[in-house]
Amino acid sequence: MNRQIRKLAGGLLVLYLALFVTLNVVQVAKKDALDAHPQNNRQTIRDFNRMRGPIVTADGVVIARSVPTETGAPYKYQRTYPDSLLFSHLTGYYTFSFGSTQLEKTQSDVLMGDTTPQKVNSLLGGADNTGSVQLTVRADLQRVAAEALGEREGSVVVMDPATGAVLAMVSFPTYDANAVADPDTKYAENVLDFLNSYPGKPLLANAYRENYMPGSAFKVITTGIALENGVTSLDRSWPSEREWVPPQTNDPIQNYGGSSCGGSMAEVFYRSCNIPFAQLATELGPQRMTDGVSAWGLGERLPIDLPGAAASSFCGNVTPCDAAFFNDQLPLLAIGGFGQGNDLMVPLHMCMVASTVANGGRMMVPHVVDATLAHNGSLLSRTAPAVWKTPISPTTAGTLNDLMVGVVNNGTGKAMQLANGIQAAAKTGTAQLNFVEGEPQRSHAWIIGFAPAEAPRYAVAVILKGTTDEISAGTGGRLAGPIAKTVLDYLFANEN
Amino acid sequence: MSQPSPIAAARRNSELGLVVMAASITAVAYVLASLGKNATMPATLVPFLIALLGMLIAAHIAVRRLARGADSTLLPLAIILHGLGYVMIARLSERRAALQTTWSLIAIVAFVLTLLIVQRPPDLARYKWTFLAVGAGLLMLPLVPGIGTSVGGARIWVSIGPINFQPGEFAKIALALFFASYLADNRELIAAGTRRVGFIRIPELRYLLPVTLAWAFAVMVMVAEKDLGSALLFFTLFTVMMWVATERAVFLVIGVVIFSVAAYVAWRMFEVVQTRVDVWLDPWSQYEGKGYQPAQAMFAFANGGTGGTGLGLGNPNKIPAASTDYVYAAIGEEMGLIGAAGIIIAFLLLLGAGLRVAMRADRPFEKLLAVGLTTIISMQAFIIIGGVLRLVPLTGITLPFVSYGGSSLLANYVLLALLLRISDSGARRRGEVPDDLTIGERLEARRLQRAERKGVTV
Repeated sequence: MNRQIRKLAGGLLVLYLALFVTLNVVQVAKKDALDAHPQNNRQTIRDFNRMRGPIVTADGVVIARSVPTETGAPYKYQRTYPDSLLFSHLTGYYTFSFGSTQLEKTQSDVLMGDTTPQKVNSLLGGADNTGSVQLTVRADLQRVAAEALGEREGSVVVMDPATGAVLAMVSFPTYDANAVADPDTKYAENVLDFLNSYPGKPLLANAYRENYMPGSAFKVITTGIALENGVTSLDRSWPSEREWVPPQTNDPIQNYGGSSCGGSMAEVFYRSCNIPFAQLATELGPQRMTDGVSAWGLGERLPIDLPGAAASSFCGNVTPCDAAFFNDQLPLLAIGGFGQGNDLMVPLHMCMVASTVANGGRMMVPHVVDATLAHNGSLLSRTAPAVWKTPISPTTAGTLNDLMVGVVNNGTGKAMQLANGIQAAAKTGTAQLNFVEGEPQRSHAWIIGFAPAEAPRYAVAVILKGTTDEISAGTGGRLAGPIAKTVLDYLFANEN
Repeated sequence: MSQPSPIAAARRNSELGLVVMAASITAVAYVLASLGKNATMPATLVPFLIALLGMLIAAHIAVRRLARGADSTLLPLAIILHGLGYVMIARLSERRAALQTTWSLIAIVAFVLTLLIVQRPPDLARYKWTFLAVGAGLLMLPLVPGIGTSVGGARIWVSIGPINFQPGEFAKIALALFFASYLADNRELIAAGTRRVGFIRIPELRYLLPVTLAWAFAVMVMVAEKDLGSALLFFTLFTVMMWVATERAVFLVIGVVIFSVAAYVAWRMFEVVQTRVDVWLDPWSQYEGKGYQPAQAMFAFANGGTGGTGLGLGNPNKIPAASTDYVYAAIGEEMGLIGAAGIIIAFLLLLGAGLRVAMRADRPFEKLLAVGLTTIISMQAFIIIGGVLRLVPLTGITLPFVSYGGSSLLANYVLLALLLRISDSGARRRGEVPDDLTIGERLEARRLQRAERKGVTV
């Protein structure tokens, strides 16, 4: 029988070798694929049992941090967001069951201590290798802007025109990231369902993730393109007209409110006549106009360091947005010249437009992350200012600056006359949305600007969405102007 | 008392060394698991160490006294498996750890008692029909209304008052004893075969019938209880023992053919088998249902990788039944490839030692019993580890010595004691250690002497 027992031993050995091989396949060969399997949340569990660093505003306010949970909780750290209604569109959320968004997503490696320098440091004996993210956004300014906006749908963006650093960016409606990150998964799921179905899309920051018709605020871009191409100058003037019929149609274009409007370049700009800018766009023609808006960055996703940024457009949802699209639609090109028709601008982009004028023609890459720091405070990275586009020359920028000063001093933007005699420059916009049968006429109220005009330090863009009768009945100057003034006055009053 | 024996002393001393190593590994793992999980020393460390040492000393001294010539690796291998399994159970559930502690104590007592009661292997051979009756009775017990209960679809539990146990765990041993004894008596008659059909010689039916009926009955009962893992285990046990006993490979061939047909029929007839196969092939598409457990086990293994997450630092609680059927996945996660391969190696060494015991035994009954017992342990480990790793479809049985479960632990320690007994018997028969009188025999001798002095004739 010993012969059979030996064979039995051999047979069992083969079976056990098969086990060993399979074990290697599962634990080594397929490890990465299994770890990355969409149904596998063990990485998340591991992360939730590790400390995660804070996100801090420019003025030192912590807006996202991890706190140890009570014993018995499913994981060791809970993410909390102080004053989340002010900051959730920047921080996003970091959840156990629903992934993470915004800075929590893009800066996760720094926060968890998973960047290479942090890992090296932890190997050298650093006990805590979590990192922190330092923002350019100021908590105080964020609060002032949010309070000025109030519970009106819209957004306020403030940036440093010279660097592209975003100083404030608020959107309404907003949401509380703490509710989405609640450890009670069922509750969090209900919150998410509610937020996703809510009409104002609170999860999407309308400041940088949505685009809206800009109205007359767009005339800054049209004028810039026309000046660059020599189609207009400060010397040009227009007769006072009520109506003008563009080519390829019999439908006349009117000024705002059907008024008669005309005068010098400066006058039509500060009075915000429509016909001169429709004519400028028509004179430029489809090719130069579409090239011009591309130079201003329309059609490209805004290069901000936050995920999901939207793109502005000169052609609505039509792609590609080229001259061919307008060749047989010149009336559309004409009304596009004064910010109506197919124009769609991201509020952040409008702030970048104002900044471009303020910054001598250079449009900077916008950013909210100033620096990332290791646990011991040493610098991991700092965002260097970078030019994104140069749509206009310094001369053109100077001309536009003068035109925008006129808006504040003589025209539609008088609400932007600042305290202490500081000179602001601005352009208003009242975007009349396409009429929907059976509903009242809706319009967005805009203002963009910067100050001080002679050496700009701050640029601002404000939009109030035309979702209510009150806003639709107003204009950009009357509704958005005071918000921009509040923000700029606060900034100058609190400089040291 | 017993005569001195250098070989026995050497074996027991090396066993002691290995037991101390196994105990140290267990104690260190126990502390590490607590540090990993709660960042504190285990509150129960002192009672744990006392219980661990007490049990090991008791087991070792029992072997030293009662089976001093036995193989020196069997007990330490069982202890390292038992120890690592206990650490994992304690890390998963404090409540289960307390129960497992009690069962461990009872199992060690059963181990010692088995060595004490079974002093000569032939004693067991005499009771083959008793073992058959006991085995069959135990197997059918869960089917008795009132005391049998179903857990997870399989009706393999018996509840009498506060005590729950799986009689199948003991039936395995009883039936292995019956097979070994019956085949030892009749193996030549079965192997000889008197009639010829084609090129196959057919054994006399009357010799083949009892063992075949017993086996068929056992498998049928287990299929009725939907205990497919045990049915497969039994099938293998019977086939292997027939083959080894008769030395005729045709029984192996017949076994494989019957198994293939049975597997196909079972797959066609039983929905539970189809589900098992589907989940085996693709757990991902049924992630919300039956596929959740195997998928979580795969994630656990991957999470462990080569070195493991470290004891107390993984998430084996996410795997359903992590302390019973799926304990191997929990070990794979926290101890990694290194720890999981260590478990495979421990079983490989255990089965090697078991088969060596079989080779060195010179009486057919002892040989066959050692083969049977070793086959039970090694196939049971293969079926469940292979199932958890998705090498074969999963059939839920415990991982011997490692899984949580009193009946399993108890039965496996009895099985281990029997293997040690056969090993010791083999060493005596080979003259490696003196064939001293056993305790029972000494008592009997003393009784006889006393009777003789009193002039009583016996």
